[in-house]
Amino acid sequence: MQIELSVNGVPTRLDIEAHATLLDVLRGDLELTGTKRGCDEGECGACTVLVDGQAVDSCIVAAHSVNGCAIETVEGLARARGALDRLQRGFIKAGAVQCGFCTPGFLITLTAYLREHPAPTPEEIREAVAGNICRCTGYSQIVEAVRASIGEEI
Amino acid sequence: MTSLIGADVARTDAESKVRGEAVYGVDYGSLGMLHAKLLRSPIPAGSITKLDVTAARGLPGVRAVVTGSDAPVARGGAVVRDQPLFATSVVRYEGEPIAGVIAETEQIAKRALGAIVLEIDPLLPVGDVEAALAPGARLVHPDWKDYECSLEYPRAGNIACEVTSDSDLRALARIVAQADVVVESEYRAQRQYQAYIEPKSAVARWEDGRYVVHTASQFPFNVRDQVAQFLGVRVSDVRVIGHHIGGGFGAKLDASLEIYAALFARHVGRPVKIVNERSEDLLSCGCRENAIVRLRTSLASDGRILAREADVLMDNGAYSGEVPLMASLPMHVFGQVYRTGLARVNCRLMYTNTAPTGAFRGVSGTYLYFALERHMDECAVRLGLDRRAFRLQNLLQDGDCTLVGQVLDDAGVLAEAFDRVEQVAPWSELMRRPSTPGKRHGVGIAAATWLTNPGPGTVTLKLNEDGTLGLVSGATDNGSGAVTMGVTQIAAEEFGLRPEDVIIQMPDTDAAGYDAGSQGSRTTHIVGRATRTAAAEVREKIFAVGSRLLEVDPADLNIAEGAVHVKGAPTRSVPLSKIAIAAMSTSGPIVGTGSYATPLPSYNPACANGLLFPVFPTPTYHVHLAEVEVDEATGRVTVLRYIVAQEVGKAINPTGVRGQIQGGVAQGIGYALYEGLEIADSRYRQRTLETYRLPLAVDVPDVEILLLEHGDPAGPHGARGVAEPPIVPVAAAIGNAVSDALGKAVNQIPIRPDEILALLSGDDPIRLR
Repeated sequence: MQIELSVNGVPTRLDIEAHATLLDVLRGDLELTGTKRGCDEGECGACTVLVDGQAVDSCIVAAHSVNGCAIETVEGLARARGALDRLQRGFIKAGAVQCGFCTPGFLITLTAYLREHPAPTPEEIREAVAGNICRCTGYSQIVEAVRASIGEEI
Repeated sequence: MTSLIGADVARTDAESKVRGEAVYGVDYGSLGMLHAKLLRSPIPAGSITKLDVTAARGLPGVRAVVTGSDAPVARGGAVVRDQPLFATSVVRYEGEPIAGVIAETEQIAKRALGAIVLEIDPLLPVGDVEAALAPGARLVHPDWKDYECSLEYPRAGNIACEVTSDSDLRALARIVAQADVVVESEYRAQRQYQAYIEPKSAVARWEDGRYVVHTASQFPFNVRDQVAQFLGVRVSDVRVIGHHIGGGFGAKLDASLEIYAALFARHVGRPVKIVNERSEDLLSCGCRENAIVRLRTSLASDGRILAREADVLMDNGAYSGEVPLMASLPMHVFGQVYRTGLARVNCRLMYTNTAPTGAFRGVSGTYLYFALERHMDECAVRLGLDRRAFRLQNLLQDGDCTLVGQVLDDAGVLAEAFDRVEQVAPWSELMRRPSTPGKRHGVGIAAATWLTNPGPGTVTLKLNEDGTLGLVSGATDNGSGAVTMGVTQIAAEEFGLRPEDVIIQMPDTDAAGYDAGSQGSRTTHIVGRATRTAAAEVREKIFAVGSRLLEVDPADLNIAEGAVHVKGAPTRSVPLSKIAIAAMSTSGPIVGTGSYATPLPSYNPACANGLLFPVFPTPTYHVHLAEVEVDEATGRVTVLRYIVAQEVGKAINPTGVRGQIQGGVAQGIGYALYEGLEIADSRYRQRTLETYRLPLAVDVPDVEILLLEHGDPAGPHGARGVAEPPIVPVAAAIGNAVSDALGKAVNQIPIRPDEILALLSGDDPIRLR
């Protein structure tokens, strides 16, 4: 079946299999491998992308159900001419990246959250990422990365 | 230019990771690639009575179906060759591979698994370590005597390895009989899944008579060796190329899917990719072993430990891997923090019909220290002594000897670590802190001695013609920053370069010398030291060229900010790029190499029988303190405060060190409170990340970190291993804190709310304060 998406601002027309998930389409058809497959059941959050601005686990979203939607992935976070956005810079500065496999999902979840909540407290940040699992960092430096990105001292 | 040693510079792969550009093992692909899936045994034990792959082979899009008859060798294994690539007549655990389908897509391969006709006559599984030990227990490996071993050690039937101390049992009996107090307890720990977020995967191809394997491995040379062993070829007939690793924590040290991908690629003459689904990853990954620890301690009423006896049963699962080495751990743990008096240690590693267990950060130490430190609390309570004071009284001192006869020259650091914790969290104040209504307040303290893995490593440095530095090594960065921070900073420091001007290639076993992998916190220590040796050779060659160009004696030169300078005349200098180019027409390209392995400390080989893992080189010392609150209504434990005092030698990158400690403590909190693979009827109850509960951001406090930096003379800039041990004493500290809160001994991990509620509803609390 045919679907049309805007992926990181690029209009895209795709012929997909009926059972394909949004994650299958992103990683397979579009070869956007920045979005990660961790558990395939919506638990780990590594596959988080934005659908019309809403953070979703793309591994449990049927691709056909997002026909006509705007999709944002980690590859679309950087600004003009490839400059990192403030959240990406915050992650680097605070040491929030270790193995980095969960990082795209955290970045996307937090991007959506910060659009609605521009100045969260550390506790609010922890609640905001409670659907994303990081096995390496123990989360503190992820919280600090967000604080750094919104101009707070860390 | 300020020193990079001790500087908080960003890891060199951070940018590609936040952009989503980094290629992980599971992201790698190859032109013309086919996809494979494994048929795994649905039951834990049985005899295969029928395996018919004809229908599956005939399906459109299926290229081949491979079974045990296609395996080149009967069995392989790191220590004992007890494991077939595919079960052929007998299955020994749920999840054991029986056949593999290679197809044009993963979907087709998966569907074709359903077309394989498999019939298994079930056997009653050997379910756990006690069942395996019971008289008349069915043998998991009836042919165990015929298996080839690379090391000699005691094995017998279901006992996959036995370690026994050489102890004076008569003297021990006298001490036990005459002791003022004898404390005896049993401790139990469940399995823990490494739960890296990137499932295991591999891509292999067959090229010029060799296997080329792409994988995200912590230990590419081990993968090379194991692929070669299971496929019956020389190690040089296998090339392993590393990619970014989405977490490993020990589970990505051994080969698993790599062997199948290689076999399949040769079989079909095309590259083959294989990726674990999460449930099969959990089922087959080699989790931390479950165990039962029984401790008995004889004490004098004044608090001296007179004797200690330890009996440990570890679950090996169906096949051994490297776990026989871990059976040595009790011989270390029970004698390297506290003086024990006379000790007797026995550890039996048991075959069961469960998934093979394996390495997980802090191998075996997590539950052995849980048992030891819970036991220390129980001893103190029985004696009516303060728990902290009782520890200090029995703590090892500089120059004390461990049970294996290793002298710990610097064991006094343990006392210093207790002091550092005391400065920020005075024990007497903590003991006075009251509980709030409806909650129980508790404090636990625990110590540990751990090691820096001594395994060999080597580095080649090359000065590029633009003045940057190339670093070729088999070292891997599993996410810890050991390569992308530690080794990078050490190399850059030698030449006054920026970290981004040190270019480190991904490991490739064809290009790099042997490296013992990212395990046991070894990389910064070992590879960092090898880097300094290589740098010394490169610096000497740079000075030789520089002395010609600047017309001064080499001894009058130094290197800073990417240039060679005349000492005392900093304006007289030549950039390294010019040196590299000048060398092309004189000495030839400038390269240098360095190798290192930690010389093993001496020990007493007669201390025990079966001791395959004899010493703890480059020791580090740790004290953890946990303050918890238990909700009386829900049984939920909240970790209010967590403090770590850790000997690191030298923190090359404090932000990186902090990340390792914070992350290790988080895994330890998970182990203590949430995570546990329960086994019922030889099958895991938890089978996905939905049911296997991992710690989340709301569960883990910001850890307070106190670094001790007594440099190791052999380490680069004094650095010791850092990353592995932060997980080691966590369950011990949390277990003690929860026991303190409840006033009852909590001797099983994970400590779940329902167990806490059951304890709270019972009688007879024991007071720990």
